[in-house]
Amino acid sequence: MRILSALVVLLALATLPFWVSGYILGVLTIAYFFGVFAMSWDLLFGFAGEVNFGPTFLIGLGAYSAGLLDNHGVPVWLCVIAGAVAAVFGGLILAVPALRLRGPYFGLITLVAVLVLQQVIVIFAGVTGGEIGLTINDVLSLDPGYNYWLALGFLLISGIVLTLFSRSAAGLILQASGQDPIEAQVLGFNVVKHKLAAFAISALFSGLAGAMLVFYLGTASVDTVVDISVGVQIIIAAVLGGRRTIFGAVIGALFLIIAGEILRPLGQLSTFVVSAVALGVILFFPDGLVGYLLRRGERA
Amino acid sequence: MKTLLEVAGLTKRFGGLVAVKDLGFAIRGGEILGLIGPNGSGKSTAMKLIMGIERANAGSVRLAGEEIVSWPTHRIARAGIGLVFQHSRPLHRQTVWENIKLALLPDSLLRLVAGRAVDEHARLIGERVGLGAVLDRHPATLPFADLRRMELAKAIARDPKVVLVDEPFAGLTLGEVENFSALIRSFREEGKAVLLVDHNVKSVAALVDRVLAMYLGERIAEGPAEVVMRDPTVRRVYLGGAIGTHARDIAPEKTGVPLLHVSDLSVLYGKAQALEQVSLEVHEGEFVSVVGLNGAGKTTLFNAISGLVPYRGRINWEGTPLAGRTPGAIARGGIVQCPETRELFGAMSVAENLDLGGQHQKPTERAERLAWLLDLFPILKARRAQMARTLSGGEQQMLAIARALMMNPRLLILDEPTLGLAPVILEQISKALEVLRQATPITVLLGEQNVTFALPHADRVYVLEHARIIWQGPASRFAEEAGAGYL
Amino acid sequence: MLALQILVDGFAISTLYALGAIGFSLIFGVSGVLNLSHGGIMVAAAVAAWFIAGPLGAGQYLGALGGVSIGVVVALVTYGVVVRPIQRSRAIPRDETEIFVLTGTLLWGIMIQEAIAYFFSDSPITVRPLIGGVVDIAGVRTPANEILTAVICWISIGLLWLLVNRTAVGKRLLAASINPRGLTLLGFELSSVYLMVWVIYGVLAAIAGVLLATFLGTSSNNIGVLTASAFSIVVLGGLGSVSGSLIAAYIIGYLETATAYLLTPTLRTIPSLLLLVLVVYVRPQGLLGRR
Repeated sequence: MRILSALVVLLALATLPFWVSGYILGVLTIAYFFGVFAMSWDLLFGFAGEVNFGPTFLIGLGAYSAGLLDNHGVPVWLCVIAGAVAAVFGGLILAVPALRLRGPYFGLITLVAVLVLQQVIVIFAGVTGGEIGLTINDVLSLDPGYNYWLALGFLLISGIVLTLFSRSAAGLILQASGQDPIEAQVLGFNVVKHKLAAFAISALFSGLAGAMLVFYLGTASVDTVVDISVGVQIIIAAVLGGRRTIFGAVIGALFLIIAGEILRPLGQLSTFVVSAVALGVILFFPDGLVGYLLRRGERA
Repeated sequence: MKTLLEVAGLTKRFGGLVAVKDLGFAIRGGEILGLIGPNGSGKSTAMKLIMGIERANAGSVRLAGEEIVSWPTHRIARAGIGLVFQHSRPLHRQTVWENIKLALLPDSLLRLVAGRAVDEHARLIGERVGLGAVLDRHPATLPFADLRRMELAKAIARDPKVVLVDEPFAGLTLGEVENFSALIRSFREEGKAVLLVDHNVKSVAALVDRVLAMYLGERIAEGPAEVVMRDPTVRRVYLGGAIGTHARDIAPEKTGVPLLHVSDLSVLYGKAQALEQVSLEVHEGEFVSVVGLNGAGKTTLFNAISGLVPYRGRINWEGTPLAGRTPGAIARGGIVQCPETRELFGAMSVAENLDLGGQHQKPTERAERLAWLLDLFPILKARRAQMARTLSGGEQQMLAIARALMMNPRLLILDEPTLGLAPVILEQISKALEVLRQATPITVLLGEQNVTFALPHADRVYVLEHARIIWQGPASRFAEEAGAGYL
Repeated sequence: MLALQILVDGFAISTLYALGAIGFSLIFGVSGVLNLSHGGIMVAAAVAAWFIAGPLGAGQYLGALGGVSIGVVVALVTYGVVVRPIQRSRAIPRDETEIFVLTGTLLWGIMIQEAIAYFFSDSPITVRPLIGGVVDIAGVRTPANEILTAVICWISIGLLWLLVNRTAVGKRLLAASINPRGLTLLGFELSSVYLMVWVIYGVLAAIAGVLLATFLGTSSNNIGVLTASAFSIVVLGGLGSVSGSLIAAYIIGYLETATAYLLTPTLRTIPSLLLLVLVVYVRPQGLLGRR
């Protein structure tokens, strides 16, 4: 039943370019990339139990690597792959020592990572374009409809892969590692190994999405892809939608981006309103929208 | 059968505290060894050391001849040791089936599908432990005993050579105990070596082949169950010595409204019934002892009275119910608890700890009280400026009692004050309690497993076992009626 | 003399950092909360001071007082509306409370930032120095206000020390940070202790914010940086150690000042960031950390 309704929604979304304006397609395209960011975060938090306060570290690595390589004439598809690889690499360098730390320290390191990346980009402004940003000459496509389908397809594939992983045997081990690492070890699982794998997967998708986003926007800057508040929005999207649902993160992302656009006429208050709503959700519906609905089903 | 687990010279220190000292034993396949000891004896730490959850400071642990003492936990698990924790640890978001399946999985990053065989195997194990009907349910919906069954199922799934089980029967009804014993016996039949850790010899006596008794981290006796139970060192340490009657003036039966009246008190910790329909009363000026082993429910009872845990039933203080009052208000109202864990402010000095206790008194009364208490416990006077956490166990206990007394309580609740203390300290505390009784109109509610300490001052005794009061009466009758079956 | 200049300026900046960081550390030590809206409280106090002093025309002294009061109010609202409901919520599992508090305070900080920007714009504001004039310290011309800033901070820190170590009320705070259960057993209501610590925190953060406005000026855009530097200092000094925060504040303050003078002001946050990374990897509990 749920699958049927999902397919219907999917079909509707896929046909949007035929009857909706380029502007709306643009907003949704961004929302879809954001959805991948949020799903990757949820994999790490919801399943491995680790809070990444700086998802934009991974995204930024992917985006800038892809952008820089493109400016050196590397073909687009290779740049995207390189971006993903760079993010995985950076993620593992971050995670190996970070996973040894308990409690708030892990979160702090992830936050510090973003700050460091920001500074590095600013210092080497000659290469990276500093605070102004990097301009990329190639884009994925000039047609908003084509970009839209690319983003939707990417979201779909990522969603399916991440969901399948979370439901797989490996995903089960990961959940155990996150929920009760001592019991997981007693059952014979090397918790650190599995959490590193989760980190790598999260980094892969974040980096991939970051790289693709860069070719959609045609630019990369510290404010868009290596920003702490963007990172916070990703976390909010995942929590709003519902932790540990993967799919919920997409709903949360859609809500945030669309709400942000709708409220744009409010000017500066738009961020305020969205943050206020998010705070309200955290206080009153900590399980998030999708999480709340799913839990009701579980208890029955 | 050959020796599967061999422990020698195992030692573990936590800062200044030696939790396990030079422990050694061996278990053969097809044998069940009971590791017995009260709280603080080191038995749970020993178990964690074997499993690699804590790192030993010294010693060796050999599994089927191979040295594993410095291995990480997951490697030890894969080598063939299984552990069943005292408190169930289910994955709440997964079904029973998935929980058992997990235990059957290899430690692989790439495994996407568990496979039909694994599913089927998990189902069989579930049925073997009696969970066949609830395989698709989530742990939150299961009763306590089923959660324990699931823990055993996970252990069975791992198919270890050695099984460590912590407090196998805590919280189970007699019928369930029978059921679980059968499952544990089946481990023995399969040729596994089993280590049962428990605080109570009686409950595991029927199941074990041998018993090793521990106290303060060291082994004090080993042998068949009946022999160890009768060992004089074991009896002294667990019971505090011979249970004798003490000639004392029998106080007339107190009538009138009791100072503290507990009726039909029941407490649930998650699924476990910690207290069931417990009723007791304490009259002003009385000294009432609640006797019971670890896990019987004494601490839960006291925490309910102090307002620290939710409960069903009624607790009346001076005739009015305590329900709805904050724990701070209850303490200010005259019920002061000195808990088993003491809850001292380790980084503050003795004087500061005592001073905090006296904050609700007027400054002159506070000063008087402080002077009186420092006379009662001269060692605290000597160590006034020392940091509380640098004191010895006995000194910390005295500080905790003195601090509670600073509050000028009408009812002093003492929870296991003698736990882990040397006999000479017990003497001092006992004397102090005696002075207290004679000099002040204080009412005392004492919870103890050390019967020899609990009896001399008591007017009346309640015996708490497995969450229920099973005997009550004057102290003089305790030895004849209840004392015999005590260990 | 450049070295002397660095010494003097560094001292003032470090002391200001110290005041803010000590408050941040106090809240963590007693209440267990990493308040990511810390910068918001500071700037709210600063902007309130500016508004009362300037546009409302009440002058800088009343402005400062008003600013501190507003800061305390914002701190209490943070506790009552964001932190406490999350800590008490039964819908959030125990082990996730910390994360929710972090996210909640982060969101609240963003809300404060946007509200300030909306009502007062995000252009930098300053408050007129509390005392004017310039003082000559061994050849270094220093604004008298800068010296006053350092003095006020030190007095505040000193008063806090006296409070915690010498008064009955302060001992309770200390006890609550060591063992809250023990305090309850002694008949104290933890809720009053927590309320008190948030008020003290509010005062410290607000004073730091107002002084910042008189010394260097600030704006709503500064909020994130202020929170980040407070928690860098606290991590370096050790989570939960107030004296650690004090020492770390001077280390970071001097590192920044030296870098700004010797290299260039734009790079001034780099050495402290590198130090932070080093500490987090090599000794995550910080210099004097407890856990």
